[in-house]
Amino acid sequence: MIERLIERFRHGDRLALARLMSLAARGELPRDTLGALQSSKPARVVAITGSGGVGKSSLVGRLITVVRDQGLKVAVLACDPQSPLSGGALLGDRVRMAGKPDDDGVFIRSLAALSGQSALAAHLDTMIRLCEAFGMEVVLIETAGAGQGDTAVHALADVVVLLLQPETGDDLQREKAGVFEVADVLVVHKADMPGAEQAFAQVRAAAELATPPVPVLKASARTGEGLAELWRLVAGRPLRRQADQVDKDLLVAIQEELARRFESALAGGVKGVRDLVSRWRQGSVSSHEAATAVLDLLLNEP
Amino acid sequence: MAEHLAQNRAAKRIVLAKVGLDGHDRGVKVVARALRDAGFHVIYAGLWQTPEAVVRAVADEDADWVGLSILSGAHMTLVPRVLRLLKETGLANVGVLVGGIIPEDEVPKLLELGVARVFGPGTSMPEIVEFLKQNSGARHD
Ligand SMILES: Nc1nc2c(ncn2[C@@H]2O[C@H](COP(=O)(O)OP(=O)(O)O)[C@@H](O)[C@H]2O)c(=O)[nH]1
Ligand SMILES: [Mg+2]
Repeated sequence: MIERLIERFRHGDRLALARLMSLAARGELPRDTLGALQSSKPARVVAITGSGGVGKSSLVGRLITVVRDQGLKVAVLACDPQSPLSGGALLGDRVRMAGKPDDDGVFIRSLAALSGQSALAAHLDTMIRLCEAFGMEVVLIETAGAGQGDTAVHALADVVVLLLQPETGDDLQREKAGVFEVADVLVVHKADMPGAEQAFAQVRAAAELATPPVPVLKASARTGEGLAELWRLVAGRPLRRQADQVDKDLLVAIQEELARRFESALAGGVKGVRDLVSRWRQGSVSSHEAATAVLDLLLNEP
Repeated sequence: MAEHLAQNRAAKRIVLAKVGLDGHDRGVKVVARALRDAGFHVIYAGLWQTPEAVVRAVADEDADWVGLSILSGAHMTLVPRVLRLLKETGLANVGVLVGGIIPEDEVPKLLELGVARVFGPGTSMPEIVEFLKQNSGARHD
């Protein structure tokens, strides 16, 4: 059954994508399945975070249009809190994302995030990879509030955009350390509201002191102000996940190379290495000591 | 707790939408909350939805059910259109519910067309929850 789904997914069947997303959300997507779904091109993953009511869904709705106007395909993964008591969830984000229902370049999925634990739905990383493998070029993640999910968001997304209410200038003073650590771009949202200008000045003053300084801008999903500029900023950021992935790939390659050298040293009878292994077998050196010594020998091998 | 997690893993997904041009969404929101409290994942798609937008939501959200709230009296054009689009999209197996003011004699017609159940204005929340729990919605094979 899963093979058929994957086959359909490969042929661009969005019902197959939707079903695989459900399996992923429940943690039921087999590991090797994902391996088989390598994407040719990484997507730009952008997280939109901020407290409830700050306008995340409305802004995402607007960004969909901005991104589509660039000719890029976009997936939205919108997280809302799940009730810890019933396990139920009321997922209302897509109300504010009304677009063209016949546009195949937009995929919107509502997800439940376990409340109190994280602002993100479980298995979001797998779902992002599914979107990438399906050919989505941008993935917009709406978090369920700001909260404790923030560091996790940072790991999942290339760019984290934090929305602030016009009246949160003072709050920002209090928690600015944390704010500047997770956010790549700060947006004073609802710029159409009174007080926005003042909040913007405050936030910018604080953001300039951060190292590195965090860009700040004003935007409004209602009027459209600042949206093009926001996307320009977001699109100009490096793909952080890609850099992490390069690191990981390199680490794996190094491990493989070391394993190969170790095996050939053993088989080829490099004396020092064999001695160390037999002393380790007898228990006269610890694993760590033996490993360090072997590594020294291997690296000094011509 | 473990039970809840297990329950959540199997949580059924239902898209609720208001189709047609009439005004408010109080009724749908009451239903949405009741279903959430009964453990459903309720995707609220909003007011003034076109059949096309509803079916797109059902597709992307991989919903088991779709509930259409219709007060405008346009049910005999809107519901068949949703049913036809679902079929064309390959979603004929998704359970369709209709809520709102539907004249008594038109209920059998809607059921005939493939609607799973029609809930009138007086329907109690437990009745809706019970129906959804007894029936499976979409058959996943
Ligand atoms: N004045 C103003 N209100 C907005 C703006 N964006 C969203 N809102 C309103 O803020 C409320 C919450 O918006 P929503 O997008 O659902 O926020 P979320 O909870 O962060 O996803 C809604 O009533 C919106 O109409 C904006 O740019 N300006
Ligand atoms: Mg929202």
